Amino acid sequence: MATALEKFRYDDDIVRKFTLATLIWGVVGTLAGLYVALILVMPSLSFGLPYLTFGRLRPLHTNAAIFAFAGNAVFAAVYYSSQRLLKARMFNDALSRAHFWGWQLIIVAAALTLPLGITSGKEYAELEWPIDLAIAVVWVIFAVNFFGTIAKRRERHIYVAIWFYIATVITVAVLHIFNSLAIPASATRSYSIYAGVQDAFMQWWYGHNAVAFFLTTPFLGLMYYFMPKAANRPVFSYRLSILHFWSLVFMYIWAGPHHLHYTALPEWASTLGMIFSVMLWMPSWGGMINGLMTLRGAWNKVAEEPVLKFFVVGITFYGMSTFEGPLLSVKSVNALSHYTDWTIAHAHAGALGWNGMMTFGMAYWLAPKLFQTELWSKKLANAHFWIGTLGILLYIVPIYAAGVTQGLMWRAFDETGRLAYPDFVETVMRLVPMYWVRVAGGTLFVAGAVIGLVNVIMTWKARPATYADPEHEAPALGVFEEGSPKHEAKGFAWLARADFHRAWERKALKFSVLTALAVIVASLFEIIPTFLVRSNVPSISSVAPYTPLELAGRDVYLEDGCYNCHSQMVRPIRAETERYGEYSKPGEFVYDHPFQWGSRRIGPDLHRVGGKYPHLWHVRHMEDPRSTTPQSIMPPYPWLLKEDTDFAGIQKRVDVMAMLGVPYGDAVNKAEALAREQAKQIAAEIQAQGGPAGLEGKKIVALTAYLQRLGTDIKKAPAAEGGQRQATASGAH
Amino acid sequence: MKLSDIMGAMALSTYAEIALVIFFAIFVGVLIHIFRRDLRPEFERAGHLPLEDDFRPEPGDAKENG
Repeated sequence: MATALEKFRYDDDIVRKFTLATLIWGVVGTLAGLYVALILVMPSLSFGLPYLTFGRLRPLHTNAAIFAFAGNAVFAAVYYSSQRLLKARMFNDALSRAHFWGWQLIIVAAALTLPLGITSGKEYAELEWPIDLAIAVVWVIFAVNFFGTIAKRRERHIYVAIWFYIATVITVAVLHIFNSLAIPASATRSYSIYAGVQDAFMQWWYGHNAVAFFLTTPFLGLMYYFMPKAANRPVFSYRLSILHFWSLVFMYIWAGPHHLHYTALPEWASTLGMIFSVMLWMPSWGGMINGLMTLRGAWNKVAEEPVLKFFVVGITFYGMSTFEGPLLSVKSVNALSHYTDWTIAHAHAGALGWNGMMTFGMAYWLAPKLFQTELWSKKLANAHFWIGTLGILLYIVPIYAAGVTQGLMWRAFDETGRLAYPDFVETVMRLVPMYWVRVAGGTLFVAGAVIGLVNVIMTWKARPATYADPEHEAPALGVFEEGSPKHEAKGFAWLARADFHRAWERKALKFSVLTALAVIVASLFEIIPTFLVRSNVPSISSVAPYTPLELAGRDVYLEDGCYNCHSQMVRPIRAETERYGEYSKPGEFVYDHPFQWGSRRIGPDLHRVGGKYPHLWHVRHMEDPRSTTPQSIMPPYPWLLKEDTDFAGIQKRVDVMAMLGVPYGDAVNKAEALAREQAKQIAAEIQAQGGPAGLEGKKIVALTAYLQRLGTDIKKAPAAEGGQRQATASGAH
Repeated sequence: MKLSDIMGAMALSTYAEIALVIFFAIFVGVLIHIFRRDLRPEFERAGHLPLEDDFRPEPGDAKENG
């Protein structure tokens, strides 16, 4: 069928924008990482300022690395490769620009709000609701632009890289919307509609799949396009890539619960998460082999071509991380690794090794094409490669060691059956030398990122006065034919028939709908039982809502990102119950909007901290942690003794909680008065213990109220009004 | 009776096992699909897509389109 050729041009300007943004944010994100690494070994570097504490800057670092650096890299890859694979210019230039500038604005908004303590308190989803809304809008713009391009494509077969992009666009939208559902109490504070176990489940369903569909699938799309380009060879096995795709889409979504082993999550859910995580080994390694074997017969090129070096190391790290991930999801391994630096090392092997190296490789490949000149310095690119790789190794090796060391110290018992290291800070001190090596490794990686940025900017400077904008030709796609005539399917023979899959591959809409279905159905299978099966969240009759003042204190806890260093989850393991006390029950968290279980114990668990120390201890500890624990690496929080609690705003917060179903009773009418009353009482007790006077209006009192309440409810006798729920209190022992 | 009572009585945790079987079946389906002999030329061509920045009509194209 002869069709007239259509003429079109690619929009490379938008790719130039995203590529430069990627490299700039790469430097910013890694520098922020270096700073937080330094704060851990030199707490004085926070200068007693709220904006420079680990708790507030670590979310800035993770958001910058994931959404700014990796995010812009994904968009650069999508905009460059989609146009070429689909033989069409992007659907709409204005949408492309709106996407670019919208995303950069979101990043700037994140960088400004996070140090100010404006956070929703959910890891990797910290941004508050106005920014969340903006993300949703920009993502829809991106989706319309992307699917519009697919709709007007001139290539019938949709190449596998595009499938990975489709999965990304759909799934990220679903994840972002459902995890971010919250009720605003003000412009800068909202509360997750989920509480406790359910919030944890949603959060790690989101968190895990953000890794899957923001840091894995789009980068696999990138790999399946740019690796063949750089090696000048088709992918090793197209079949394997199809298998890789469908296995990931169907399996990855299930694996989230493995982040919550030994927590108050139902056993079956975490077992399911474990099974699917282990099954992920197959497609992941299939994909790694596929990527590396694309270099068949071209390995000699790796020696001279920095782009290929970056890709080879990147794909190797993909293989290592995806081997390690399922390993960490095995419960007995997780019992050791969870809450330690092992997780941090794993994340950085993935982020620096896989995402970082793939991104830099792509940037070096794109730079000469986009700026239509030679790369400024191939030598520097090679230097970047070696410095970066060495940096990654210097980062991850000591941090793996730190993780295993601390995990073993936490669970060590002496011959008398007591904890060998009862003092938590002992286990921290042991890590400090390894943290210094990490600083060295991080410095190297940042240096590499700076070299990369300089190299690309110098390449950009050598660009021609006007870019050549060649015209391309391809025939338009007519109305789709259904392929060859239908075969009669007998019994299960249809399974073996190709047409059903071939039709999906060609029909973008059908394909997208099915991908979305796979993701959503899997998620529902996983999530609905947790929400609806009563026995999953046993209620405990003595657990009552936080008082208005405690709620205000909890907001301080969120704002200062305490969850970045402290967990609130004592696992049912002897070493933990010895150290912290009674293990945590699901029913204890039913009023926790959002949950604050945390994922890393740089400091000790706080779930049973209530009543452990006198009020004054908390005041002194916040003012200067080293006055109570000389070796502590916690930054000081002196402003908590000076800044006022926002009493006027408490009523609104209580109202939102009541709206979410927290039984506040009387407090919905007089939250502020109740809060002031409790503050007065605590302030008086602090003074009685020999502390400073006049603290009752200060944030420290609210925070102390919250900390003293933590984990104490199960020790109380059941309250009278809780009687009706007693029947199901199976989790309370 | 609330929805959660009804759902709670449904022993939903077996859903997980049912889903596992369904997903495994799909996996096998994809596996069979990709080893179909008659799809080899299409996969072959698809694999080369990144390498053609410009459209070049292929000899077999007209015939394939029927």
